[in-house]
Amino acid sequence: MRLLVAEDEDLLRARLVKALEDNSYVVDSCSNGKTALFQAGEYGYDAAIIDLGLPGLDGISLIKAIRAKGMLFPILILTARDNWTDKVAGLDAGADDYVVKPFQIEEIRARLNALLRRAAGFAKPALDFAHLSLDTTSKKLTVSGDDVELTAFEYKVLEYLMLHPGKVVSKTELTEHLYEQDHDRDSNVLEVFIRRLRQKLDPDETLKPIDTVRGQGYRFNVPATRN
Amino acid sequence: MSRLPGTDISWSMRRRLVLAFGVLLIVFLGLAGFVLDRAYKQSVAAAVAERLQLQVYALLGVAEPEADGKFFLPDLEEARFSQIDSGLYGLIYNKDGTELWRSPSALNLNVDPAPMVDSELLPGQTSYGEHSTQDQGALAWASYRTYWEPLDQLFFFVVMESTAPSAVEIREFQSTLYLWFGALTVLLSVAQYLLLRWGLRPLQQLAQDVSAIESGTQDQLEQHYPRELLPVTDNLNLLIKNERERQNRFRTTLGDLAHSLKTPLAVLSTALQEARSAQHFTEQQQRDMSEQLQRMNQIVSYQLKRAVKSNQAVLARPVLLAPVLERITGALHKVYRDKEVSVELMLVEGAQFFGEESDLMEVCGNLLDNAFKYGHRRVQVKAERKGKSLLLEINDDGAGIAESQRNFVLQRGARADTVKSGQGIGLAVVVDIVSAYGGELKIERSEWGGASIKLRLG
Repeated sequence: MRLLVAEDEDLLRARLVKALEDNSYVVDSCSNGKTALFQAGEYGYDAAIIDLGLPGLDGISLIKAIRAKGMLFPILILTARDNWTDKVAGLDAGADDYVVKPFQIEEIRARLNALLRRAAGFAKPALDFAHLSLDTTSKKLTVSGDDVELTAFEYKVLEYLMLHPGKVVSKTELTEHLYEQDHDRDSNVLEVFIRRLRQKLDPDETLKPIDTVRGQGYRFNVPATRN
Repeated sequence: MSRLPGTDISWSMRRRLVLAFGVLLIVFLGLAGFVLDRAYKQSVAAAVAERLQLQVYALLGVAEPEADGKFFLPDLEEARFSQIDSGLYGLIYNKDGTELWRSPSALNLNVDPAPMVDSELLPGQTSYGEHSTQDQGALAWASYRTYWEPLDQLFFFVVMESTAPSAVEIREFQSTLYLWFGALTVLLSVAQYLLLRWGLRPLQQLAQDVSAIESGTQDQLEQHYPRELLPVTDNLNLLIKNERERQNRFRTTLGDLAHSLKTPLAVLSTALQEARSAQHFTEQQQRDMSEQLQRMNQIVSYQLKRAVKSNQAVLARPVLLAPVLERITGALHKVYRDKEVSVELMLVEGAQFFGEESDLMEVCGNLLDNAFKYGHRRVQVKAERKGKSLLLEINDDGAGIAESQRNFVLQRGARADTVKSGQGIGLAVVVDIVSAYGGELKIERSEWGGASIKLRLG
């Protein structure tokens, strides 16, 4: 999952980015509202964390501008101004949730998870597809009720595919959302991960949850059990 | 000690002017009436005296002394002398008061001649007076002393006339006078009322404008006041403008202060979390630091929220309740999307809050956030107006607030560092704001068993 973090306090931004990266997110960050708007238009993000007190372009205007450009990814507001006028203004402008400073990293993670799965249409923390269930809170996969171990990268790939079920996801899109910008992107590595995932999800090869659409990418094709 | 009327400065200006004009009117009209009455009576008395004098001359003209010392007056021109009890009587006395002649009209007249026979009166002089009789009523008299040369004697020629006609004349004059003065009083009172109304109109308008500003239907005083009031209205407008700007500046400054204080707190908090995962500190140290950070955060949050709330409802503007509630519930639906809470807004048409919109947002935001957070699926907001007060009720279907906790959360100004994280600050701030507007807040149980927060604002 690729996130945009816009926060002007360097120390806080650095710690937030590190904590999110430790939680398997790919994070781009900036300290200025105008840069954030540019980046949001330039790269397809899965979610953004935006501080309301940004220089250049304040948080509310940034959110409005992002929505005005038709970008629908969920936005989490960070605000030090713990009053309802600002919170409601932020949510009215197009944000989806808010966290008041100071915060616990766990809280940010939980809110982000909730926003990401809600954006994909899941109301509960678990992404359920037939006998497959991915818990976005504990980051655990169960297949027919049995726990299956996933590496951090496998989890990222599976979560991304499950959050976009039925949609063809290109290798480029996957790498963009799962790798750092300056990371050496080797599509063969991706193929290896997909193969491993298929084995873990469907050892008997009866369900075939991940299709390869030739020349286009991958598609997670199990119907979701909506909750 | 009781004050003299009007020395109390709180007496209304209208009352002062009405009283002053009223007293002036009564004194003026009273004096004028008295003087006119006096003057008229004097003129009537003078006319009577002149008439009597003329009659005396008429008697003198025809009087002829007889041998027996009496007088004979033939051919009296004035017919009333000849009719019995006509009201005009002629008499002649000698210097001792012995009656020498009386006109036929005075046949029944019974008078004491003493006052009319004044020995100090010089010949050719007339004395006047009034005499009261039993049968003919009050009579005005004129007594003329004359020296009759052929007889070498002094005589008094007396003419008496009933005062009844002049009394009637005076009474008629007085009636007319009272009638006109009554009409004048009414006319002047109406004129005074209209003049006061017109003269005090700018002040009345000022009071109305100030009350409109208080109730929030007007932003500032209009500019069309008379020159004398302009220094007051201009300064008042300036004061209102400055006060509003001060409030806004204060709020912005506190918002910036919150940002400046909380961002370092956020840095410290995340740093501590990193240190915890790296196990740089003992568990006790981590707990202590975490607790102290939390305390600092609570104090900063609570005190800033207390400070940022508006401290007066005097310059309040009306805020429509429905749009504010719709914005907040819309925002909360986003935040609590997973819960699918259904919100029922039961507001009377045009329900308004007189105060700062940010205060209303804070009250409704905190209460509705609690209702969404602790309720299961249903939230209900009822609002109605009672006079200038707004009655608001927020119900949810959660577990409710235990009675033992109700008093605690309602304690005004409960210290932030005694409140545990995640609860209390919101309600404590709500209680503070409600108190600042002179309202009250009650916690009860809703019909669904959850919390029911009832508050009166203003």
